[in-house]
Amino acid sequence: MKVLVAGEKPEQVITTANYAKSLNPAQVVAAAFKPFTENELAMLGGAGVEKLIHIPEKYLASGAAASAAALAELVKKLDPALVLIYASKKGVEICGRLAQRLDAAYASEAFAVEKGEKGFVAKRLVLGGGYVATVSLNSKPALASVKVSASETSQGMKPAVEEFDPGIDAPAVEVLETIKPEKTRVDLEKASLIVSVGRGFKKKEDLSLAEELAKLIGAEIGCSRPISGDLKWLEEERHIGLSGKRVRPNLYIALGISGQVQHLVGMRDSKTVIAVNIDPNAPMATESDYYFVADLYKILPLTIEILKKKLGS
Amino acid sequence: MGTYRMMSRTMPDIVVCVKQTVDVYQLKPHPETLAPQLSQAQWKNSDFDLNAVEEAVRIKEKSGGKVVVVSVGPEVKQLLVRECLAMGADEAYILSDPSLAQADGAATAKALAAVIKTASPKWDIILCGEASLDQNAYQTGPRLAEIFNVPHVSYVNKLEVGDRVLKAWRAVEDGVEVVSCSLPAVVTVGLEINTPRLPSLLMIRAAQKKPLKELSLNDVGLTKDDLMPRAETLEVKALKTERRRQVFEGKVEELAEKLAERIIAHMGGRR
Ligand SMILES: Cc1cc2nc3c(=O)[nH]c(=O)nc-3n(C[C@H](O)[C@H](O)[C@H](O)COP(=O)(O)OP(=O)(O)OC[C@H]3O[C@@H](n4cnc5c(N)ncnc54)[C@H](O)[C@@H]3O)c2cc1C
Ligand SMILES: Nc1ncnc2c1ncn2[C@@H]1O[C@H](COP(=O)(O)O)[C@@H](O)[C@H]1O
Repeated sequence: MKVLVAGEKPEQVITTANYAKSLNPAQVVAAAFKPFTENELAMLGGAGVEKLIHIPEKYLASGAAASAAALAELVKKLDPALVLIYASKKGVEICGRLAQRLDAAYASEAFAVEKGEKGFVAKRLVLGGGYVATVSLNSKPALASVKVSASETSQGMKPAVEEFDPGIDAPAVEVLETIKPEKTRVDLEKASLIVSVGRGFKKKEDLSLAEELAKLIGAEIGCSRPISGDLKWLEEERHIGLSGKRVRPNLYIALGISGQVQHLVGMRDSKTVIAVNIDPNAPMATESDYYFVADLYKILPLTIEILKKKLGS
Repeated sequence: MGTYRMMSRTMPDIVVCVKQTVDVYQLKPHPETLAPQLSQAQWKNSDFDLNAVEEAVRIKEKSGGKVVVVSVGPEVKQLLVRECLAMGADEAYILSDPSLAQADGAATAKALAAVIKTASPKWDIILCGEASLDQNAYQTGPRLAEIFNVPHVSYVNKLEVGDRVLKAWRAVEDGVEVVSCSLPAVVTVGLEINTPRLPSLLMIRAAQKKPLKELSLNDVGLTKDDLMPRAETLEVKALKTERRRQVFEGKVEELAEKLAERIIAHMGGRR
């Protein structure tokens, strides 16, 4: 069985290749649009990849259509049983077009792929993230974009690198500009304490209440999607949930978050959940260990004062 | 390119794909099997699709043109389609067929493309949600673009439509990409692009008179075989979390005291 792994960035290709190892494939070939450093090549080798196929970056640069067209040509050439693409946002849109182009069975944002009776079986979150669907991929090749986290990597024999330019045309999208966010580089996935804010906050300035609490106990700040997306009060990388980060802290403190299913999926692995909400019936109530029915504007200043005294700062 | 078409037509024809899904916010799993209790579920228009309708109507209000809603599924409900018409869409085409109950992305895109070819063959923009409420698959928009061999832009949170071109702001991990492509094109949007309007009573009434056409597989040149899924769902099961579910109500001073206690008790070794 041959598996083709691909991704937008070298580290994502390595993660995907490492994941593919769990399927015990006979051969893993990697495809990438960006050049690898020597170290990254060794990591790719450590993930069991024998060959890296480098597709010119211009395909990635002209959008998902061109990227998918180039990958489709490669798939036709290699004839793999399974194609796994790292589920970055671009990876997912490329995979959608690739699946259509190849008329292949496709599972997007799968968190697991296994060998099944008929072919490959993927697991993914559906219905807002509250449910797991098991999907049988009945075609060759089978396709999945995978949302898996990086595992321990080790260096290995560097794979051979081959160039592949299919010389194919596709409808282009031109990137005029990339507006980079101010990088705060938070690693929410690894945080052991998270104070998370939602639309219960009325103004951006009011987030200082949450920030003060977070600082006091040494927590990271997270948020619901509207806070980063709609309101842009916090960076995109702080949003937790189906379309954001999946976190697993010891303690998750949800302030003014209703607890819609798409948010819950991002924090349900927290060890303990404390929530403050003015509404006794918000869905968060049944998803919390300790649920405080209170106006956050009233309870937080008091709580902060008490904590200051008790923690002696 | 473009000059001829620019003179001949600058008002865009916009198709909006609106999916009807179970209301996942109300959905409860069966206590033993953990399967979603779909037969008792309410239906709604998928969240982001209403953002797509809103955006289409805003483009029409600025540049003129026409907004056509299309929806396919096992049993598309006219009442929900009328909601989109009330928001300002001009006409709607729906395709209901029981075989679409098992549809995967491939079957859905095929059905939608066939309806679009029949209902609005000269479209300029197809707007979709970036992901549907139930499947969250992020694939229908890109698939449609592939079928029509046109560019697509996903994850759009701001859109400008010019003469035969569009400019879009899209949120990806590296930041916001400002991109441009020629029309026709497919665009997918999320919650952030706008706030869908709540139609007034007047708009709701006006929507009753707008054309809403039911098409059959035959009308759009498809057979049931065309809609066979490539990806087959074997099982759907709820995730479960066990929580203490202790609720605290009362005087805020006392609650603050208890909240501080709980926080200290669970902050671990940290200080
Ligand atoms: C496909 C899809 C993907 C999505 N992905 C995500 C995701 O990844 N993450 C995410 O978070 N959302 C996601 N959403 C959006 C999600 O459905 C909800 O809209 C969102 O989580 C709501 O955010 P919120 O709880 O901050 O706001 P709201 O739902 O508006 O809740 C605000 C809460 O604050 C409480 N409140 C108000 N005032 C006070 C006060 N003074 N004191 C205390 N409490 C107060 C209210 O009672 C309410 O419960 C997604 C939606 C879709 C359709
Ligand atoms: N059955 C359908 N009818 C109409 N539009 C759909 C349908 N399925 C998906 N779409 C569109 O495609 C988007 C993405 O869906 P998905 O690929 O399932 O995440 C939705 O937000 C809709 O705009």
